[in-house]
Amino acid sequence: MSKCTWESESNHGRIHQSLEWLPQQLFHEVIRKRLLIDGDGAGDDRRINVLMKSFTKWCHSNFSPEEGFSQYQRMLTTLAQCEFSMGKTLLVYDMNLKEMENYEAIYADIERSITSAHEKIAECKKEIQRAKRIRKNRQEYDALARVIKQHPDRHETLKQLEALDKELQQLSHIKENVEDKLELRKKQFHVLLTTIQELQQTLENDEKMESDDTQESSMENGD
Amino acid sequence: MFISLQLLHMSVFSQSFSPCGRFLAAGNNYGEIAVFSLSAALSPDASEASQKPILNFTAHDGPVFSLLSTDTHLLSAGNGEISAWSWAELIKKVRISCSVNDNSLIVGGGDNNIHIMDMETGIFKSVLKGHTDYIHCLCFKEREEEILSGGEDGAVRIWDARTNRPVHCIEVFKYEECARPQFGKWISCLATDSDWMLCGGGPSLSLWHLRSMSPTSVFPLPGCQREAVFYQDLIMSVGEGPHVSHCLHGGTVKAQIPCTPSSLNTLALNLKNSEHRVMTVGGSSHQIDVFTNFSYRAFSLSF
Repeated sequence: MSKCTWESESNHGRIHQSLEWLPQQLFHEVIRKRLLIDGDGAGDDRRINVLMKSFTKWCHSNFSPEEGFSQYQRMLTTLAQCEFSMGKTLLVYDMNLKEMENYEAIYADIERSITSAHEKIAECKKEIQRAKRIRKNRQEYDALARVIKQHPDRHETLKQLEALDKELQQLSHIKENVEDKLELRKKQFHVLLTTIQELQQTLENDEKMESDDTQESSMENGD
Repeated sequence: MFISLQLLHMSVFSQSFSPCGRFLAAGNNYGEIAVFSLSAALSPDASEASQKPILNFTAHDGPVFSLLSTDTHLLSAGNGEISAWSWAELIKKVRISCSVNDNSLIVGGGDNNIHIMDMETGIFKSVLKGHTDYIHCLCFKEREEEILSGGEDGAVRIWDARTNRPVHCIEVFKYEECARPQFGKWISCLATDSDWMLCGGGPSLSLWHLRSMSPTSVFPLPGCQREAVFYQDLIMSVGEGPHVSHCLHGGTVKAQIPCTPSSLNTLALNLKNSEHRVMTVGGSSHQIDVFTNFSYRAFSLSF
């Protein structure tokens, strides 16, 4: 039961008059509802009240037919105005519902694109890791290749080794041949020397036998 | 006044990410370890305060040269001692560099030897002798169970982890294409990627093919590189000069990303946690640069 200090002037007097006797909460509720519906006080609510009042006045009063008719026309126009504003409000309501749906759809769309962007980011991160690993491997490979390049070519070295091998073989072959020849000559000389010695021996033996013979014959003659 | 002087002279020597990947621990030359929360710093509503450490404690008397994270602990190494701090509590205890393999900790020290320590019992299992000068860096090849170590004597030695015997020895400064006699022969950074190895320091940063023991590419970077890592198809390295170099395996330097410290000591990649996948670099400045996209600096954490 407190005095209200609402800004709305035209409603102020009416609300205050009609609702003084209500309890506190209900008072505020009704105020809020009234203000929501018709906060400016210059619209539909007033028009409906005016219509009701004029209708009751028209029913109960005794007008002249023209006046009654004009009053009737005026009431019809007010009714039409009320219907018009009602239609407008319905359309606005429909529009709001459609807007809401539209926004829901856009919201869902954006959610989806956010999740897909997250996924793409994760994918790209994985790609980066892979690319980094590949780069590291490539670098290591290059580094090793550089070191390897400093050493002489394997084919070259193999060829050199082969050539050396061949030379070695040839030389050992020659060595074998020479050794064989040496052996042969040694044997031949040995044969030669032994033959000479035997001949010498035979000659000596012959000489000895001859001198023995002459001695025997001279002894026989001397008898 | 004193604090700003201290900040001016601060150098970050080492970094390590927590096993969950949400925290970064950094060690500086004053012996302090600062723990930063990456989730706070990377969150959309990060502020100035989130770029400060959530915990800052003095771990050693000398500089913290090396930090390493295991599944439960943070190991920090200073001059002659290794302390383990529990990541769960984030509190609580030689010129060394470390690497972890299964349950053993491989420690390379200033005494020219590599010690392998069992993590459970804390006993030293074996010693690998062979270097003639102190060891700067270590790394581990999981597939063939081999340890690679590089040191001041310019030699990268490869040891078999199971038999603890030396397998190979590469003297990098003897190869003409890598050697830079004006800088010396020390090796300060090693990284391995199964068949390939990166090493740099005095000699230029070079990529080696381990099976043939030959250098395949030499990177034309001007300064001495302090740390290098393999990442996907790139090689990232930091060293003298206020930039992180991105290089390709072929030997080209693809990009050099500028950073705040004038010379960088350490680079760390947080690959354990996919949400906080960042690269952090630290060097001669009290600021640690954080890169969320590896192509540019995002922001800096500060001690």
